[in-house]
Amino acid sequence: MGSRAALLLRATPPLCALGKSASPKVLVQNKRFYAAKSSLQPPDVPRLAETARISLTPQEVEEFAPKIRQVVDWFGQLQAVDLQSVEPAIRADTEGDNLRNDVPEIFENRDAIIAAVPTYEDSYIKVPKVLNKE
Amino acid sequence: MPSTAGSRLLENYRPPFDATAVRKLRESGAIVVGKTNLDEFGMGSTTEGSAYQVTANPWDLSRVPGGSSGGSAAAVSARQCMVALGSDTGGSVRQPASFCGVVGLKPTYGRVSRYGLVAYASSLDVIGCFGSSVADSGILLGAISGHDKFDATSSKRDIPDYASQFVAIDYLESKPLKGLRVGVIRETLEDGVDSEVISSVRDAVSHLEQLGCTATEVSLPSFSLGLPAYYILASSESSSNLSRYDGVRYGNQVFGDELNSLYGDSRAQGFGSEVKMRILMGTYALSAGYYDAYYKRAQQVRTIIRNSFKEALDNNDILISPAAPTVAYKIGEKKNDPLAMYAGDIMTVNVNLAGLPALVLPCGFVEGGPAGLPVGFQLIGAAFSEEKLLKIGHIFEQTLPGCSFVPPIVADE
Repeated sequence: MGSRAALLLRATPPLCALGKSASPKVLVQNKRFYAAKSSLQPPDVPRLAETARISLTPQEVEEFAPKIRQVVDWFGQLQAVDLQSVEPAIRADTEGDNLRNDVPEIFENRDAIIAAVPTYEDSYIKVPKVLNKE
Repeated sequence: MPSTAGSRLLENYRPPFDATAVRKLRESGAIVVGKTNLDEFGMGSTTEGSAYQVTANPWDLSRVPGGSSGGSAAAVSARQCMVALGSDTGGSVRQPASFCGVVGLKPTYGRVSRYGLVAYASSLDVIGCFGSSVADSGILLGAISGHDKFDATSSKRDIPDYASQFVAIDYLESKPLKGLRVGVIRETLEDGVDSEVISSVRDAVSHLEQLGCTATEVSLPSFSLGLPAYYILASSESSSNLSRYDGVRYGNQVFGDELNSLYGDSRAQGFGSEVKMRILMGTYALSAGYYDAYYKRAQQVRTIIRNSFKEALDNNDILISPAAPTVAYKIGEKKNDPLAMYAGDIMTVNVNLAGLPALVLPCGFVEGGPAGLPVGFQLIGAAFSEEKLLKIGHIFEQTLPGCSFVPPIVADE
């Protein structure tokens, strides 16, 4: 990474003083955050891929794992920010009471929705067997 | 018209309805000439992340147009269309506008309905406007704004007539922006930002002062926290939003003997690397027991950022920063370094976290390419103050001396 970009990724020191116990050896990027917050395990890419239903090749696992770990470690800087008694914000402010009445409406272009289904037979969306385990 | 969102998964997908923003444009008489390239599902800052093509920057064909809505920015810059829409989750309209020397407008969260927009991170996504002038961007915003019963986050506020307040240069007073308080965000003009970008933005501030503004420096100490908070929220929300692409109801399908392999293989074939990685990061951040450490903390940071903007905007009418820390860089330069690419979003992501409107205008050039590379600066306003931003922007662009933001490939024709 270019040095300029690296500067931008650094949080300001007073807000982001990481674990006091970090010895010089633990300052290696990837270990630093997990050492400071031992209850969090580093990302296990094959398991995450299974959870997210993405069949990764072994080459992809090898390629993605260090990158994901690098980014997740960088996420870790927020652990050091004092956020006690700060309310989380779900999104920017929006005005309430915007929900429409819960009344069904007929969508006119039904045929186009059905035309987009990859495997469609006799008014059914076809998928492989769901219950095939003992 | 096909809608791929730059993804192989939606290669032949034809949506059964128009997005509300597009429907409104058609109803106003607009002619839709096509759709443009983007980073897959909006995830990227260069448009290199498209599953189809790499878009070039009209100012220098060896450089990226920015992203994710880089195709829209390049099309407007090359004068292939008058205006274009894009989506801005963390800067995807403003950064490419800056890289391509066009106007980019990110409206307030809730100003424009997202019905029909392919969702990336729903707490941040907005539809934005590109134009080769502020006036065009304002007309476009007026046409697409307003409440929509199909988007509960869309606001019922009145839509101002953005175009009616524009004053042509011959009718401007000598100090048309007299009394306007401009806050220059200190943290955006420090180390890590290209020095030529800083001097262009400082020149733009001087120009605003000549127009009558009072400029002071303001500090937003939480500014640097916005970047990790943004990437936690965006990747988490994307892991949820993109779960709809399972290959069952639409999109490319890889049929298998078992349902989970149909899902897994369709998604593996359909998604590109960056999308897969962001889904996996989001899946990690939302894992049981990790929610409080990542997603919730990022939401708390959002509160801090929102409050710091509010305070700064109580004391200033608008805030100013560069639109990006650099000008357009070379194709391939940051392709394999996600953190280097993410760092380029520092100027824009905080505005999405706070849900505020922002207008990016070209303000100068730095050396590079056949005819220089454009620099954009960002005007940030309070929620629903698009009218004010456009008015200031319109005066700025008419009075900026000696700057024509037409790329050489167009000007030479």
